Amino acid sequence: MRRLENAFWFTFAVPTVGIVLVLFFAPFLYSAFGSFQSKSGQLTLDNYALVARLYTKDVLYTVGIAAFSLAIVLFIGILLCGYLRVYGNKLVEFLFKIPLFVPFVVVGHAMRVFLAPHGILNSMVAQIGLINLDNPPSLAYSWLGISLALAWKNMAMAVLLILGAFRSVHETYLEAARNFGAGAIRQTLDVLLPMSASSLAVASVLMFTSMLASFSIPLMIGGGKGAQMTMIDVYYRITYQGDYGAANALGVVSYLLASGAAIYYLRTVTRK
Amino acid sequence: MKVDPGAMGRATVKIAFLALVLFIIFGPLSSLAIWSVAEKWYWPYALPQQVGLFYWGRVLGSDLMRSLQLGFFIATVVTMLTLLCTVPVGYALARFDVLFKSVIMMLFLLPQAFPQLPVFANAAVLLYKFDLGATIPGVVLIHMVGSLVYAVWIMTAVFKSIPVEMEEAAINLGASRIRAFLSIALPLAVPGIVASSLLVFLYSLDEFTGTLLIGAPFVVTLPVFMYNASMGYELQVASITALLLMIPGMVLLVLLERYLKAEYLSMFGRI
Repeated sequence: MRRLENAFWFTFAVPTVGIVLVLFFAPFLYSAFGSFQSKSGQLTLDNYALVARLYTKDVLYTVGIAAFSLAIVLFIGILLCGYLRVYGNKLVEFLFKIPLFVPFVVVGHAMRVFLAPHGILNSMVAQIGLINLDNPPSLAYSWLGISLALAWKNMAMAVLLILGAFRSVHETYLEAARNFGAGAIRQTLDVLLPMSASSLAVASVLMFTSMLASFSIPLMIGGGKGAQMTMIDVYYRITYQGDYGAANALGVVSYLLASGAAIYYLRTVTRK
Repeated sequence: MKVDPGAMGRATVKIAFLALVLFIIFGPLSSLAIWSVAEKWYWPYALPQQVGLFYWGRVLGSDLMRSLQLGFFIATVVTMLTLLCTVPVGYALARFDVLFKSVIMMLFLLPQAFPQLPVFANAAVLLYKFDLGATIPGVVLIHMVGSLVYAVWIMTAVFKSIPVEMEEAAINLGASRIRAFLSIALPLAVPGIVASSLLVFLYSLDEFTGTLLIGAPFVVTLPVFMYNASMGYELQVASITALLLMIPGMVLLVLLERYLKAEYLSMFGRI
């Protein structure tokens, strides 16, 4: 009977673990292994030499964009969540949840037409006379466009995480600060922010790594020339050149950049 | 009648703030709506010169409908298979001292932490070896990687939140563990199961990276269709597709708004 029961649970566990093992864990190890292989199958460091030569700038560009996006998200997110925590505004809170369920490709496309040289944003700004449409600045196809699109998409997650952290700060602390005459901004910066610093740090690491790994947004809105985000490089290296060695080496670099998040996740498991 | 100038000022600030928020959220999305009805639009005009539903009519009779149906079909299969696998596994992880539990939990965290694209590119090589490249089963499998990882965590949390005493009582009265699971824990878990299956369905419907790498060129779901249209500068077609793609997510947002918790939504913050 006991045996039969074990067999029951086992039947469901095998495909569940099996699919993740075969289609994620194995390719993950294989990509690390493949990064040290030449096309003929010999062990080599050539792929890394190629990555260092061609893609160092792109890696820095990617880190820069992710850092800049994160800065926008944190700046707006902290102030907004401070306001929402202190005063509360159901409508604004709801509106900021919308980007969460807008698919990444849709964000990419919407931002592409919104920020294009003759897109809606430029048209509107031109109406006030701030820019000249004969020679419009283009936010799309640039690092700034990618950063804004990533920030827009990640804003929803940031608001959920930061507001969650702010809400777990007990009301009495805020009351005490108010009794000493602190306004909403003081309450946010001097009470809410320091008291939720650790959860904010975790949220930042997670958002930063997910921005580094972003693929569809830069694919839609990034420029065809100049520096690219690393995931775009990986994709082009494979689809246009069929060069899995270099693509995998670049992939390993991206895993290393994501190790902050990995360490956090590993710790959540080992803590239990 | 006297109006307090301070209150007036505060109301003005509040309205201006709300207008700014509306612009930030809906500004980018509004360009989709405008492009979807733009029959003729050249610069330097700020708005389309000719507006109509011409492209809507054309798009709804085209390949788009096939992509839409295909996407719904794949999402349905993925959701059903994912539920079938993860409901018992989540229960087992929540209740038993499973062998290598922390190793299994770790395995189900890795895909959250690392970039998907380089991994899926190598998974594509593997799937092509087994003749699953550019097929519907191949796309279902790659969607299942993401949804299994996500659903295992949610299901474990759902079953952990159900008090164990009732099942213990049933077992004391002679029920088997499987019976306790099927007739006590499972019915109590239904709300959690429904919520997570909706999220898994949406994940599959919106999935892009894996579908592009494994499905192309024969399995074209709506996100890939939209990508192709946008890259081909068919901006009206792409914008209409984008609007259609947003509908399921918005419905879900309204349905689940109250239950949205950050820890359950990690899947939607990625790629």
